[in-house]
Amino acid sequence: MIRLLPREVESLWTLFTAPIVWALHFLICYVGAAIYCAKPGLLGLDFAAVRLGIGIVTALALALILLSTLLAWRQWGFGTYDPPHDDATAHSRRRFQGFATLLLSGLSFVAVIFVALPAVFLTECLR
Amino acid sequence: MLAPFALCGCSGVQSALDPAGDESAIVANLFWVMVIGGAFIWIGVIGTLLFAISRRERPVSDAGAGRLILWGGAVFPSVTLLFLLAFALWLMPGLRPFATPADASMTVEVTGKQFWWQVAYRLPDGSRVAAANEVRLPVGKRVEFALESDDVIHSFWIPALGGKMDMIPGRRNRLSLLATKAGTFRAPCAEYCGTSHALMAFSAVAMEPSDFDAWLAAQAEPAAGVSGEGREAFLRNGCGACHRVDGTEANATIGPDLSHVGSRKTIGAGILPNTEAAIASFIANPGAIKPDAKMPAFGALPAAEIDAMAAWLKGLE
Amino acid sequence: MMQPAPRLPDSERSAQADQLRDAWAAPTGWRYWTSVNNTQVGLWYAGSAFFFMLFAGVLALMVRVQLAVPGNDFLSADLFNQAFTLHGTVMMFLFAVPIFEAVAIFLLPSMLGARELPFPRLGAFGFWSFLLGGIFVCGSIFFDAAPSSGWFMYPPLATDKEFSGIGADIWLLGLSFIEVASIAAAVEIIVGIMKCRAPGMRINLMPLFAWYLLIVAGMILFAFPPLIAGDLLFEMQRMFDWPFFDPSRGGDPLLWQHLFWIFGHPEVYIIFLPSIALMAMIVPTFAQRPIVGYSWIVLAAVGTGFLSFGLWVHHMFTTGLPQISLAFFSAASEAVAIPTGVQIFVFIATMLAGRVIFSTPMLFGTGGLAIFVIGGLTGVMVALAPFDWQAHDTYFIVAHLHYVLIGGMLFPVVAGIYYYYPLINGRKLSDGLGRLAFWLMFVGFNVAFFPMHLTGLRGMPRRVFTYPDELGLNLLNLVSTVGAFVFAAGVLVVVVDVLRPKHRQPVGKRNPWNAGTLEWINEPQHNWGVRSIPQITSRYPLWQQPELAEQVNDGRWYLADAPHGRREGIVTSVLDARPIQVLRVAGPALITIAAAASLGGAFVAMTFHWWVVTALCAAVSFGAILYWLWTGTGEIPEQATRRAGPDLDLPLYASGPASVGWWAMFITMIGDGTAFGSLVFGYFFYWTIHSDFTAGAAGPGATWPMISVTLFACSWLLTVAARQLNARARVGSMRLALGIAAPLTVLAAVAGFWGPWQAGMEPTRHVYPAIVWILVAWTLVHAALGIVMQLWCLVASLAGRLTPAHDQDMHNVALYWHFMMVTALTAFAVVGLFPMAVT
Repeated sequence: MIRLLPREVESLWTLFTAPIVWALHFLICYVGAAIYCAKPGLLGLDFAAVRLGIGIVTALALALILLSTLLAWRQWGFGTYDPPHDDATAHSRRRFQGFATLLLSGLSFVAVIFVALPAVFLTECLR
Repeated sequence: MLAPFALCGCSGVQSALDPAGDESAIVANLFWVMVIGGAFIWIGVIGTLLFAISRRERPVSDAGAGRLILWGGAVFPSVTLLFLLAFALWLMPGLRPFATPADASMTVEVTGKQFWWQVAYRLPDGSRVAAANEVRLPVGKRVEFALESDDVIHSFWIPALGGKMDMIPGRRNRLSLLATKAGTFRAPCAEYCGTSHALMAFSAVAMEPSDFDAWLAAQAEPAAGVSGEGREAFLRNGCGACHRVDGTEANATIGPDLSHVGSRKTIGAGILPNTEAAIASFIANPGAIKPDAKMPAFGALPAAEIDAMAAWLKGLE
Repeated sequence: MMQPAPRLPDSERSAQADQLRDAWAAPTGWRYWTSVNNTQVGLWYAGSAFFFMLFAGVLALMVRVQLAVPGNDFLSADLFNQAFTLHGTVMMFLFAVPIFEAVAIFLLPSMLGARELPFPRLGAFGFWSFLLGGIFVCGSIFFDAAPSSGWFMYPPLATDKEFSGIGADIWLLGLSFIEVASIAAAVEIIVGIMKCRAPGMRINLMPLFAWYLLIVAGMILFAFPPLIAGDLLFEMQRMFDWPFFDPSRGGDPLLWQHLFWIFGHPEVYIIFLPSIALMAMIVPTFAQRPIVGYSWIVLAAVGTGFLSFGLWVHHMFTTGLPQISLAFFSAASEAVAIPTGVQIFVFIATMLAGRVIFSTPMLFGTGGLAIFVIGGLTGVMVALAPFDWQAHDTYFIVAHLHYVLIGGMLFPVVAGIYYYYPLINGRKLSDGLGRLAFWLMFVGFNVAFFPMHLTGLRGMPRRVFTYPDELGLNLLNLVSTVGAFVFAAGVLVVVVDVLRPKHRQPVGKRNPWNAGTLEWINEPQHNWGVRSIPQITSRYPLWQQPELAEQVNDGRWYLADAPHGRREGIVTSVLDARPIQVLRVAGPALITIAAAASLGGAFVAMTFHWWVVTALCAAVSFGAILYWLWTGTGEIPEQATRRAGPDLDLPLYASGPASVGWWAMFITMIGDGTAFGSLVFGYFFYWTIHSDFTAGAAGPGATWPMISVTLFACSWLLTVAARQLNARARVGSMRLALGIAAPLTVLAAVAGFWGPWQAGMEPTRHVYPAIVWILVAWTLVHAALGIVMQLWCLVASLAGRLTPAHDQDMHNVALYWHFMMVTALTAFAVVGLFPMAVT
């Protein structure tokens, strides 16, 4: 399974994968709901469809973050190395990146769940 | 640090912690729960911090310190906040339900102006009762407010009954409130709206439903004292160009409706007691009492004429 | 070079030191002010920011005096409104953000083991812009002309000339000018951290301060541009009556609130993170051990950076947006508390795992944390929409925000002053005065602000110049006023401690706190930063590489000399800090001051509608910047490589992604793109609020916008081709390509203009034509810059300044054109095609 994932990428940007997924998820939820509430008749949908949409986007986002977690876990060395990862080697630097990415994936996972929560409790636009 | 709290308590006609409404009561409870929870968290965090600083012997291992970060810094807040957030989200739809037009018994339209409030009660039969700078509502009945503004952004807030809602030019915001106790409350403008923002408030009066119905019926008719002395002076000096007094030819809506001004709790939008002397001083020089008020000063008129108008207005109950 | 070079004989070493000293010497006499070195500019920056802070503090005291008793007439209503507006504005724009830029400019190079940030003149330009803009904004109150609409400047109060005077223009133009300076600093800091670290300082060894600052500078790139876009719309309405926020012509006051708070909330974290970064440097020093949870701090910084962009609507919980929208922002506002909690627990864990020396900086640090945690907890409360409906715009919020900002920012900054003061002149500040100041500030602060929680919930709204007697607010307010003066006395003690003459105090030893990070290797008496640039192999080099300090001072590491009399530093790779280039940076210059002063002049003249002066100043500024770029950048070195160490030769010239200039262009254009994106957001915002957002008016049609896009594409392709041709030494063809591209751009711009023009779109009639024109105008201004750049490369090629081997400018211009193309495509697709898609 792990071997199917892309090879390690040497870049600073991988660190930001999970937060970027969070940001996109947040934007889609907010903009989607805002447009629905401002123009209810636009697509002929009702609010249940909006909630369902948020559910689907959330599942997708969580799946992407899990993927990022998996990649990060691999970059970290599957938990075989403990922090602080402060050796002057590229190896140690990669472990650090892996661990930091892993932590960020965890935070993003929780944050995506937070942002999806309104769809559970609110059943209309309410304005 | 806590002394002022003990000294002042939470009561007051403008206090959110002395609730007389459904929303304000729930929010006040939410506040106290959060304050107590927050106090425990603060003591826990700062206690740990002071312990960490003062401890001299045998430092904690790196792994132990790492576990503290994981559980104290990440897991505990995540779980606590998740529950708190879920609770608040669960509250939201019930706190401000928006009645559909069919079951709304009455809509109160309030329009913010620099620096006063135009009020109109829109009744189910389509009739409209105009007022200003005072909002009355029946206890135990949900009232819907339609909030607008003519000039700048204001915010409508009756702390004792519930949270605020902005009045934004070009938009019509809705707010629904349910008073649970009768009483007179003070409601300040809560969005900065210019020079005299501090001097813009109104009285909110929650009344028993039968009293309210009687009051509203009286408001729909001209005041008893409308043909009294002072009316001539009022009309002669052009007050009718801005104000309306039901039962006279003064019928403008630029300034506050004065049809029943004598029965209001305050004058000048919540800033002066409703006495003849206060009314007279406002007529003489509104700008001195309320900087940048739009009403011109009438101090050049003979004092007797001003007093006559004040007495007449005070009599419009 | 993993080992230091052998120690040279004394005579050679002192000759090297002399070369370095000459190259880095600060100018003397009046020319001192032409210095661009990070040490001087950083100190000026910090000094000015503190001066503005004291000024705003005095305004706050005046506010507190007025509110001490009900019905007070110490200040008139209008003056009170000017005072609180200026207090907020100055604290935010002229103290909190600039102080972080100042500290970054002052400290970063030495922390990273660099001699200087990559663009010293840009840093100096930013400082002078900040100073001029700041004086302009602050000075207005002495002419009774200060802004009085609140630091948030909500329309219509702030747009309508009937309600607000010239103060609003001063706010908009003065601060737009300062925002430019902030973005300049962000570019400088990002490139500095990514590309100018000491060799071997891999990203896992970077000081935490640098991690925080990297994130913060990135946040500035996405947070400030929406405000700049908002300022543009705002000023277009105030000056030319384009109705962006006027509901009677289709505008909406809420658009401003969105744009302002998309800036305004990340701003809070832009202020908070650098101060916490100072704590992340101070805590390990006094816990006498490396930080526990380095990766957790990176998580916290990056996490906060992202989440902070999902909070802005919590400033708009009472504007009547649908509750479902509020709920998303409520959720994100709660989530952001998680990384903040991590941050605090990292400090606690580090202290637990070490042995804490309780010094004055630690006193301020822990006191600040105790205050900040209260602010954080009240933040969690107000993030819940139902509670915020009550608390919003009351003194509860005043208390909350001061607990956050003073606990999270001011106290750590004062801790930083006590900690880092020895880096300024080798002497420590007084412990006794420090402790006195702390207790005055700590007690005074809590006495002033703690009661405000209750004041607010008992119904006192913010921004009121007075309050009635009978509401039970009297005692609370009086206590707050007394506390404010005690707090101010504490601040005054800090000022006295910093300013008191210290020449009789002996110079202390270097690294007086026994810290582990690289900045303590510096000797304040030398302007050169480090004597030689070391190879780093650990997070706390002074602890873990015990011989490093001596080796550095003996000049045994990189660039220990300056044979050409130039200021030089090393550019390294992003991840592993491999040395890749020797970068020559600029020395003292008057041109940066001239550019800043003329640009400032243009903004000031615009405020007073002196159009001729505005045009003149803008032209001078434009000329000055061109002169600066022509003389100060893209210089072809006299030799290809430079010996950096015994076995290391590095190129002196780089272009494309290997060069720092390319990165600066890239980062600037990201910010530029964000501003443009905000304008596009405005277009769609108007679409959502109206059933027919065109209000039946004719649009630009699809034809002309599409012609324009096609022409822009041709010009873009030719520019990219020019870069390739030049790289293949086909200089003639390259010049021909540029020679065709420039006129094509002119045609593209004309076609873009012609669309809305031929349709007779009148921007003052309705918001639809106004927003179309603003998108088109934005594109046209960028096209004009694009033409200048194309011609620049043509002229540079003819002048022999741009050759196949030295093609920095060509790379940067091609990069600009990539962004130009995206801008043109987006703008014309939106204005040309979208109306057809929805009707």
